[in-house]
Amino acid sequence: MTLGNSQIKPDAHGKVTGAALYAGDLTAERLGTQGMLHAKVVFTNQVHARVTLLDVSAAEAVEGVLFVLTADDVPVNEYGLTKFDQPVLIGPTSSGRSIVPHDVSRWEADHLAVVVAESAEAATLGAQQIVSDWEQLDIVADIDAALAPGAPLVHPEDEVASNAYAHLVIRKGDVDAAFAAADVIVEGTYELPYQEHAFLQTEAGVAYTDGEGRVTVETAGQWTHEDQEQIAHALGVNADEVRVIYRAIGGAFGGKEDMSVQIVLALAAKRLAELDDHRPVRMEWSREESIVGHHKRHRGRITTRWAATADGHILGVESNNYLDAGAYNYTSNKVLGNLHLTVSGPYEIENARVDSWAVYTNAVPGGAFRGFGGPQGTFAAEMQMNKLAAATGIDPVEIRRRNLLREGSIGITSTEMPAGVSLPQVVDACAEAAEWTHPKPPPVPIASFASLPSTTDRVRRGRGFACTYKNVGFSFGFPERSEARLVLHGDNDQPTSAEVFLAGADVGQGAHTAFVQMAAEATGLAFEDITATFSDTATSGDSGSASASRLSFMTGNAILGAAEEAEKAWREGARPAVGEFRYVPPPTEPLDPEGAPTTPNFAYGYVAEAVDLSVDLDTGHVVVHDVVCAIDVGRIINRALVVGQVEGAVIQAHGYALSENLQVEEGRVLNPRLSGYLIPGIGDIPEQVRTILLEIPDPVGPFGVRGMAEMPLMPYAPAVAAALFDATGVWFDEFPFTPGRLAAGLG
Amino acid sequence: MSTTNVGDSLGVVLTINGKRHMLEVEPRRSLSDVIREDVGLTGTHLGCEHGVCGACTVLVDGQPARSCLMLAVQADETEITTIEGLADGDELHPIQQAMHESHGFQCGFCTPGFLMSTVALLSENPQPNRSEIRAELSGNLCRCTGYQSIVDGVETAVSLLNEAQGNQP
Ligand code: FES
Ligand code: FES
Repeated sequence: MTLGNSQIKPDAHGKVTGAALYAGDLTAERLGTQGMLHAKVVFTNQVHARVTLLDVSAAEAVEGVLFVLTADDVPVNEYGLTKFDQPVLIGPTSSGRSIVPHDVSRWEADHLAVVVAESAEAATLGAQQIVSDWEQLDIVADIDAALAPGAPLVHPEDEVASNAYAHLVIRKGDVDAAFAAADVIVEGTYELPYQEHAFLQTEAGVAYTDGEGRVTVETAGQWTHEDQEQIAHALGVNADEVRVIYRAIGGAFGGKEDMSVQIVLALAAKRLAELDDHRPVRMEWSREESIVGHHKRHRGRITTRWAATADGHILGVESNNYLDAGAYNYTSNKVLGNLHLTVSGPYEIENARVDSWAVYTNAVPGGAFRGFGGPQGTFAAEMQMNKLAAATGIDPVEIRRRNLLREGSIGITSTEMPAGVSLPQVVDACAEAAEWTHPKPPPVPIASFASLPSTTDRVRRGRGFACTYKNVGFSFGFPERSEARLVLHGDNDQPTSAEVFLAGADVGQGAHTAFVQMAAEATGLAFEDITATFSDTATSGDSGSASASRLSFMTGNAILGAAEEAEKAWREGARPAVGEFRYVPPPTEPLDPEGAPTTPNFAYGYVAEAVDLSVDLDTGHVVVHDVVCAIDVGRIINRALVVGQVEGAVIQAHGYALSENLQVEEGRVLNPRLSGYLIPGIGDIPEQVRTILLEIPDPVGPFGVRGMAEMPLMPYAPAVAAALFDATGVWFDEFPFTPGRLAAGLG
Repeated sequence: MSTTNVGDSLGVVLTINGKRHMLEVEPRRSLSDVIREDVGLTGTHLGCEHGVCGACTVLVDGQPARSCLMLAVQADETEITTIEGLADGDELHPIQQAMHESHGFQCGFCTPGFLMSTVALLSENPQPNRSEIRAELSGNLCRCTGYQSIVDGVETAVSLLNEAQGNQP
């Protein structure tokens, strides 16, 4: 048995010795080449403007600069994960093989040019010599500006009359009658902040042409084959002419799902091959380039009303939801879908009218980030639920029990929930571990600043509860798949070893370890007898993305299928015996444009959290004493890795809820450094985070596995808000709950 | 590697992991860049380049230092230890061993910095309690783990070191 233990990660040795190679660590020597070139991508630094002149001749004249790539050098000047709406490079002229206007910068970090030079210094000097002229366009700063009558359109080429797009609806039952019959109505307008991924390794990569003539990019991403597709599309070549390899990945969290260095490096490598220069070319973003230059968790606004009976049964939900998509779609239309499903909570709701929009602005694009719309929807839903508890005088856990989705429930999209709804058990487990029915502990002295004495005078203590659910996989009709290849070796009756070939990315979560554990389990071999080759489009089929809490689920099923195929071949006498399998999960449907019943997902994960905190009424300083996260993971593959996902997600949520405050005004990120954008340090985190794992098998998960890596992030912010209410009697509908915001609200 | 005019450069002698390096470096270059680019030791990571994340922590004459904030010329004639210098051949340092066993990392990008800070912590205070560990490591950021497993790793390191010295706490 290899499942359920805390198998040490095979990459552990490299990571504790410094030997692990991240993309930024690839030197000419390590790549076995003579020399290394350096590329710098130049941001337009224009929030919304049309380029009228671009002159790179002075840049190309800088000593050490080989060439400068512009829009003219991009065969198909467009890219995007779900929609080709973004030019690779902005320029006055372009190849013409895209309908996306190439001469408008819609975001301060649109790319203008790529300077390739003998040294990083020369590339930077070259970048400074680029001359451009711009005609300024009106800036669409935020959601309000985008929706104002007569607002300029960010994407007029879409021929949509508004910046709001991707409208999703739920129409269920009779909402007006529900509100007319209500004993209690609770409402709120929730302002949702951005969140920056702040993966510790910034974007980096190296590109060259490999021995088989493929443009090869070694980088850190979340989906090798999607990177390959997007690079090939922009280069105007077939996918098999491009190769993508991932080295050690220094965190991702959704922030490496979209392109950063990949396409521009590939363009540089292609040009070098044409020049018969065989040196690889590298690029690495500074932290500031990273924060300015990649997408964020969406900011947004949710205005919602819930109707209920005096005994706490929800009668109806009405909600209008906006996400700031920023300048390009990225995955906004998909993120919106998850917000849309979570905004009415994990509850049985018979009457609902929900409208959600993504809105184009000239701000930084919103995109994938752990939870993928779920944290925003959950914040509104669980604020509403906790307000309902307060309004009816019913205990927050008890009122949830009266409304929770359970096995056989009809979900918000008017079809039965996929089997395996374990939310009632999860909520009970969380409440029990948190000793929810016990009286709350008294305040303890806290010091708001190290220089101040600890005191309880103005300290109040409170507890809060929240729960939620999230789908596994992209779903909503997306053609999900995951491929695996497994080869059994041995001479006699029993295989003695196996090789597996899998593309799935290990972004740090330990996916590769879990894959090998599952391959060992599926073949009956020992962990040590499995050799694995990962994350190279040249050696494995598409595993899909390391995101959406999908990878262990999808790839686990693919491994099981490949093992079965290989064993069949083995029985038929093949030595070695090869098994190849493409796992396709149960089909899902996109949401209906009129709100008719659909089944958008085939599996969900369920989570509940309880938070115990103290707050200083004068300073707004918060100390979180205890967090309990109860989550149904279906089946534990690797206990330490699962607990690590929970603890890591809770601390990211802690930052989201309390300290991470990305400021974006008039389309510009104002605090693009880790000194001004505060992710939690060890001194800021809860005194303890307790993880309660349930193992109620998912009927379609491999070995019963459920997706789990996003869910613990989602209920934390509303649980903190509820605890703040419990402590102070004040609801905060806007976060992060920074000391300044809390002190102002409590003063 | 760079557009340096040799005339602009200064000679520095850095003893890194016991090996003397005589280098010509421009005065403006950081110690971290010289360690990574000129000496080729890429285990020292850069997460912020302005002193916030601690990923670049090395020991300079035994004291923890953020190599992104220090100029290479300031380190002239010092003894520097990087993550690559912790293990004794194939034998992991007890702190590496502990972090390895405790799953004290996920992506591992912060790990070299945490390990170097831990070495410094335990040389000053060989028996830290949990809150001392938290206080001493508060200058290192990790975005993946949530820190609990890192603190566990340091506690494991303390007991491994105690065992090695034959004294039970
Ligand atoms: S890179 Fe030196 S402290 Fe962050
Ligand atoms: S393990 Fe990824 S930053 Fe610490």
